[in-house]
Amino acid sequence: MLSASRHKTATHQAGRTSQGRSVLLTKLVVAAVLLGLVLAFPALAPDPFILSVGVVIASYAALAVAWNFVGGLTGYISLGHAAYSGLGGYGTALLVTEAGVNPWVSMVVAAVLVGLAAVPIGIASLRVRGASFVIVSIALVLILLLVAQSWAEVTGGSNGLRVPRPFGTDVLRPEQHERFFYLFVALTLVALVLWWVIDRSRLGTGLKAIREDEDKAQALGVPTFAYKLVVFVVSAFMTAMAGGMYALWFGSLDPIFQFSILTGSYLVLMSLLGGVRSLLGPVVGAVIVGYAVEFFKNQYGDSQMHLVALGVLLALVVLFMPDGVIPWVSAQLGRFRPGDTSIREVDAAQLAEERKALEEAKS
Amino acid sequence: MSGSLLLQSLILGLLLGGLYALLAAGLTLYFGVMRVVMIAHSAFLILAAYLAWFFTTQTGLDPLLSLIITVPLFFAAGYGMQRALLSRLRPATLTMMSVLLTFAIALIIEGGLGYLFSGTQRRIQLGYSSASLELWGARIAVVKLVAFGLAAVSLLALYLLLKKTRFGQALRATIQHREAAQLLGIDTDRIAGFGFGLGLATAAVGGTALALDATIYPSLHWHWIGPLMAIIVIGGLGSIPGAAVAAMLLGVTQALLQIPMGTTWAQTVFYLALFATLMFRPQGFFGGRLAQRF
Repeated sequence: MLSASRHKTATHQAGRTSQGRSVLLTKLVVAAVLLGLVLAFPALAPDPFILSVGVVIASYAALAVAWNFVGGLTGYISLGHAAYSGLGGYGTALLVTEAGVNPWVSMVVAAVLVGLAAVPIGIASLRVRGASFVIVSIALVLILLLVAQSWAEVTGGSNGLRVPRPFGTDVLRPEQHERFFYLFVALTLVALVLWWVIDRSRLGTGLKAIREDEDKAQALGVPTFAYKLVVFVVSAFMTAMAGGMYALWFGSLDPIFQFSILTGSYLVLMSLLGGVRSLLGPVVGAVIVGYAVEFFKNQYGDSQMHLVALGVLLALVVLFMPDGVIPWVSAQLGRFRPGDTSIREVDAAQLAEERKALEEAKS
Repeated sequence: MSGSLLLQSLILGLLLGGLYALLAAGLTLYFGVMRVVMIAHSAFLILAAYLAWFFTTQTGLDPLLSLIITVPLFFAAGYGMQRALLSRLRPATLTMMSVLLTFAIALIIEGGLGYLFSGTQRRIQLGYSSASLELWGARIAVVKLVAFGLAAVSLLALYLLLKKTRFGQALRATIQHREAAQLLGIDTDRIAGFGFGLGLATAAVGGTALALDATIYPSLHWHWIGPLMAIIVIGGLGSIPGAAVAAMLLGVTQALLQIPMGTTWAQTVFYLALFATLMFRPQGFFGGRLAQRF
């Protein structure tokens, strides 16, 4: 009797772990297949235009994951991340053209500088919650747009700033696209790994506590302000890296596009659509929204209908799936599965048996 | 710098500040009734300006008459927006999600205006467009005075409505403590909707005033939303007198700074004041208990 019950729990546990292992294995296989598809994309792309759309989407993915450090972990929604990508872009461009620094070194140096600049900005904007944080994030982009347009001696103003290509002139355009595609994918992977590490750390736990209830988190002794500041600076740094890389790829910067609230709102829409709480949510969102944006721009050309399309999409996501498409889809699928209940599905006899086994094990 | 130039800038700053104050009062109302930051406020402002322009070009009448249509229309739109859209959002994430939702509405308005009227800059030509008054050497355009008068009258009407009527009392009670207001028998949902409508009506008035003497284009609202947001944070979120004082002060500062620095750099004063406020006094200068947490 006793041995039988022990045997039963043992197989039960073994079953559970092997199930866990198979889930992990499936996840790894799916991830490997997805990564393989992504890496094969340049070879599969029929023409350089499609390839360049792929580069744009990859850059959006890097930016959206960088945004999700703040948006996903703390729940603070910033509409102004274009400020950091724009600063990263201009910093990289100026270091290359004015100081003659190696392009890749300037990209990293510019991102570090943006990270440093994010410290006072974070101190100012993270002291207040919710509404004021969003207002500051918008104000930051608007102020930088004003400065970049007015300070023409340095930024080139509305004429734009040309950035020399990091690869030699013998590397042709499609080849450039291909290399930058891999670079953006690599940057996205680095950001994902960093997000995953933070998500599982003490820092991440504290941040998620802030997201759920900041007052309670503070009462429990989470150093809320320091945690928020750290992740804010990390986010600004990663965003600036992606912005710098974009500047090197695109080769010219215009304040209107670099410091645009629209870009910032794309990032929010991507992360929200994909799901801010999941690791891959922003990437999924970047693929969907990035493709949609390029499609709308192609379809409607110069007319302003692409703004309307973006607005409608954002409103629908906010109203109907604020947790993102991944949780929404799994909830829809969940309808066909047996429902989760909080009731333990064991009868009294089984419980008594387990208790007896425990007591005997003790004695 | 001559004295008359200084005087002129001072007067222009005050006139502009009046318009800022009216619009900031609208933003404060939304924030008060629902803790919502309404990004689309300035987009509705530009929409109203376009409607005034369209009204004048189609009928040839004075743009001020378009208020008869736009104010009730915007009031209804605000009521509908609050009841149908914003009240659907989850309370836990209301502040953040409402920002995104109203941002989406702003994009739809901007895109729609661009689609219907193209990105061309528009301006209303009136008989008195170029008329101006001279006061100790300072020249003040009549249209700016009319715009200020409109803003001042509306602000006064809003003040009286909030302070002297039963509806105003109910609205203020809803802002102060929703549950307590409910216990007193106030239908807070309806009142919140009306508060929203009232806020949007200020955008209708402001837009008409703006159309009198400004060149308008669809993406103009981005130039308004930043300063307005800065004003309500500096004044202390939720405080109408705070917003009005901050609006006047910043309007005058902006106008005075325009003399040595030019228009673009003078705009940065709003953002610098915003950052300084958040660094040293995050709850704003007139905000009470409410502003602390937002």
